[in-house]
Amino acid sequence: MLAAAFVIPVLTDSMFIINLMVLMLIFIIFASAWNLLAFSGQGSLGHAAFFGIGAYGSTLIAAKSSISPLVTIFLGAAVAALIGILIGLTCVRLKEWFLAMVTFGFAIIVQTLTVSVLAPVTGGWDGIASARLISPTIPSYQLIEYYAVLAITIGSIVALWYIMKSKVGLAFLAIRENELEARAAGIDPVRYRLLAFAISAYIAGVAGALQIHHIGYLTPEIYGVENSFWPITYVILGGLGTLAGPVVGTVVLTIIWEGLKATGMTFGRYVIIGVILILAIIFLPKGLVSLPEQVQEWRKRFRKKEPLQEPAVK
Amino acid sequence: MDNIGVLLQIIFWGLYAGCIYILLATGLNLIFGVMKVVNFAHGEFLMIGAYITFTIFILTGFNPYLILVLSMLALIGIGAVIERLCFRPILGTGKLNEIFLSIGLIYIIQNGAAMIWGDAWQSVKSPYAGITVQIGSLDVPFDYILIMVFTAAILCGLYLFLKKTTIGMQMRASSQNRKGAMLVGIDVERIDIISFGLGCALAAAAGTLWVVSGQVFNPYMGSIPAVKAFAIIILGGLGSIPGAIIGGLLMGLAENGAAYFLGGIWKDAISFVILIIVLVVKPTGLFGEKGE
Amino acid sequence: MKKHVLTIAVLIITAVLLAGCTQTQPATQQPSGTGSTSVIKVGVIASLTGPASNVGTNMWQSAQVAADKINAEGGVTLKDGSKVQLKLIVGDDESTATGGQKAATKLITDDKVDILVGGYSSAVTSAYEQTIAEYKIPFIVTGASSPIITHRPDVDTSYIFHHCPTTDTYGEYTTLFIDQVVRPAVNKKLNASADRPFRLALLYQDTAFGKGIQTAVNNTITKNKLNIQLVSQQSFRMGDSDFRTQLTAIKAANPDAVYNGAFPNEGAPIITQARRDIGLNTIFLNAENNDNAQFYKDLGQYGEGAIIESRYSPYTAPAGEVSEAQEGFKQSYFARFGTYPDMMGASTYEGVYIAAKAIGNAGTTDKTAVRQALVDLKMPQVIEAMKDKTISFSPEFRESTFDLWMEQLSYNATIGETRPVIVWPDNLKTTDFVLPPWYVAGSSP
Repeated sequence: MLAAAFVIPVLTDSMFIINLMVLMLIFIIFASAWNLLAFSGQGSLGHAAFFGIGAYGSTLIAAKSSISPLVTIFLGAAVAALIGILIGLTCVRLKEWFLAMVTFGFAIIVQTLTVSVLAPVTGGWDGIASARLISPTIPSYQLIEYYAVLAITIGSIVALWYIMKSKVGLAFLAIRENELEARAAGIDPVRYRLLAFAISAYIAGVAGALQIHHIGYLTPEIYGVENSFWPITYVILGGLGTLAGPVVGTVVLTIIWEGLKATGMTFGRYVIIGVILILAIIFLPKGLVSLPEQVQEWRKRFRKKEPLQEPAVK
Repeated sequence: MDNIGVLLQIIFWGLYAGCIYILLATGLNLIFGVMKVVNFAHGEFLMIGAYITFTIFILTGFNPYLILVLSMLALIGIGAVIERLCFRPILGTGKLNEIFLSIGLIYIIQNGAAMIWGDAWQSVKSPYAGITVQIGSLDVPFDYILIMVFTAAILCGLYLFLKKTTIGMQMRASSQNRKGAMLVGIDVERIDIISFGLGCALAAAAGTLWVVSGQVFNPYMGSIPAVKAFAIIILGGLGSIPGAIIGGLLMGLAENGAAYFLGGIWKDAISFVILIIVLVVKPTGLFGEKGE
Repeated sequence: MKKHVLTIAVLIITAVLLAGCTQTQPATQQPSGTGSTSVIKVGVIASLTGPASNVGTNMWQSAQVAADKINAEGGVTLKDGSKVQLKLIVGDDESTATGGQKAATKLITDDKVDILVGGYSSAVTSAYEQTIAEYKIPFIVTGASSPIITHRPDVDTSYIFHHCPTTDTYGEYTTLFIDQVVRPAVNKKLNASADRPFRLALLYQDTAFGKGIQTAVNNTITKNKLNIQLVSQQSFRMGDSDFRTQLTAIKAANPDAVYNGAFPNEGAPIITQARRDIGLNTIFLNAENNDNAQFYKDLGQYGEGAIIESRYSPYTAPAGEVSEAQEGFKQSYFARFGTYPDMMGASTYEGVYIAAKAIGNAGTTDKTAVRQALVDLKMPQVIEAMKDKTISFSPEFRESTFDLWMEQLSYNATIGETRPVIVWPDNLKTTDFVLPPWYVAGSSP
């Protein structure tokens, strides 16, 4: 997949594909960020908040200081991480549905603040222009931008891989599986929960900032529900809690989505995505990454149950 | 005093909004109590209920308050099918799985409805539009009295059903102790279907009362009320029906107060501000019990 | 790890195949911009899915009606005398910023369209303006109402032409109507002196659209030193359906009239709730996007006396040629789709005509030439009344100027709905503005 990611932009001269892949990579980062929080046992329904805060943070810093967006995305994300910790603090005692609802509401609160009290800074509903990641005056800047986003995506995934494999990751896992035992083993759940919130918010902030510097204009619609739900859909389909899950899910769903769109389908697209999602949750609880494994298991079960049928299958 | 009149009216609108929320939230809670799942797509049943009422109204011209019953019956059926096909297979699997599944349901139901009924805004005319009743200093349209009466009647009916009928008692038993209920021979899967269907029927009632009160609706109408209903049962405490009722009224009042004092943009956000404050103080909600 | 390798391999193959498929498309099409094109490709950006799908579908279908008509009449004549047909390609913006950006990029770079038409929500449209600027492709915006679209300083908007009145325009227009028509009528009814300040309340959607109207009203009052006092300014969240609290607050402020900055799905319940539930018996003024069949249907009898600022109505039109042209458009649309077009459909219909005319004038699909043709454009109005009966774009911000009008609704008991009559300006009106008998003027508390 990595090879494909490197090669496709060179092979194609379609800006549409390159643009689509940029957006897809950004969503891979975003979905991976959501996935990390879920990995620590905390499901958020309002990750658009961090996506949006990162975008606003980076855009405003870049506009006020004329620092390159390539730098400000990380500063904007730091704002998201900071707010992530604040939210984490209110959420540490909450679990499951409670947490889901608070995070969902948080996205709405942040949007409301953005268009009301913060409007003088954020431009309110009119939005604000956002500097491009790579200035359009540079020749073939789209390709440079693509590879910059690709590099950040790879960087984020490597970082997440490192985190998930490290002691911190093990602690996340321990808290998710059984908080009491984790506590007994000397893990402070509150600290690790906050850490997960901060890292996840940071990476989601990077993704949001990237997207907005790619598009060039930022409006409060960024806090919309669809931006909270898409990463969940991607991760659940790809494989919750796995490193490859968000990547696989985002790629597969983007391809299906754009394919269906190319056929001229409108509402039907959502219906099909919904059906795929539900089927995956019921029949592939570990997501697409577990598909090969599952297929073997189904086969085994099939053979055991109806051994006589075997030749017919082959 | 003019200001007191205004305040009274705002409280009245809050009560009315609260009625819709209570019906939705009670339905959600009924399902949660028995199955321990939260159906995030609950608002879509409100939307389907509204459309069924609308369709029957267009076809027959019956009084929409009577169609309410038909709409509720239809939703019991639809709810039962969805429970059987979607929710039963994931019972007892990972926590929050039902929410992820609900996201899929939202995609399907909203856009399916748009394919069936189109995406234009629709409305239903109440036969009592224009009739007002004098209550104290308020001139109250008759429809709102009816809406409140219907809400109260449905809630009383539900209460009697849960207290007096065998199925109702079985539902309460499964809600308190699922394993125990199984042990004494209650068919909990049947109870699941019934509670899910009933929950959906309450959503249909909410949807019907919504449309007769002069609100327009389209396939995307259900999401926001559903989220609020979810927030309400979290606020009131998961599984607690009194919590849902008090939470529903509180939200209805808070929203309308916020729209008046802070500006309309705060109407949605205020529910969550209250929710967060309550949860920080009491992580299980107002009437929630420890455990689970 | 093996399983991952397998999955990934499958994915790469699919991705490459898909990429390959889309790849081959542009190759089969000849390069555009040479002037000897066999077909003119017009990209239509519309919201076919998401919350704005209703309007978007209307826009896309209207564009098709326009293209059919132009093609049936032989198409567009180019410099070399060849007649060329129009081909429409739709891009679904999914009612989101990223969707809009994807749609625009696809239309421009893959489908290689010669010109773009459409664009609804300002938030969505501004997300692909930089793509337009980058590829320097002429774009006729026919649905977004925010002036920001062509006033933005941060990107080059010189290829963007706005054929749709902005909130600045109609906010000002409606305020002037209030000052010149409603205010004297209320004074007359009250037997008040001419210097009695008019008590206006605003109820607006808290978005770029609603705030745009709010700003325009405030600016117009200050700029023209109008004798209008804003007694209450209430707002609501987009998509809200319960406005009773805001209306209660407005009623407490005793207004002479209420101006709604709302969409039809909000405007109709606002008036219904105000008249039916709150007992706010006043004149409601509505923005032009409310002038569609659904609005009249949802309003029922409560629409009586209300005002809509308009440029295209399902039920009325200024007498004369425009009226016939509009009727023709409505009939061809109905023949093809079985429903009637809305206002955004009307301007999109014209958008396709403008695109065809500009390319015809330029005699080529070369984008710089087409842009220049749009700058120089002076074409007769198509179906909507334009200033001086001519469509042309202002030099500074490339906005066309519509001849707007105000219509008042009166109840027709046999159909159970209200119907509009034009009451302003004087050259278009068929009757005078009247205060309904149940009207209650405001008073200072």
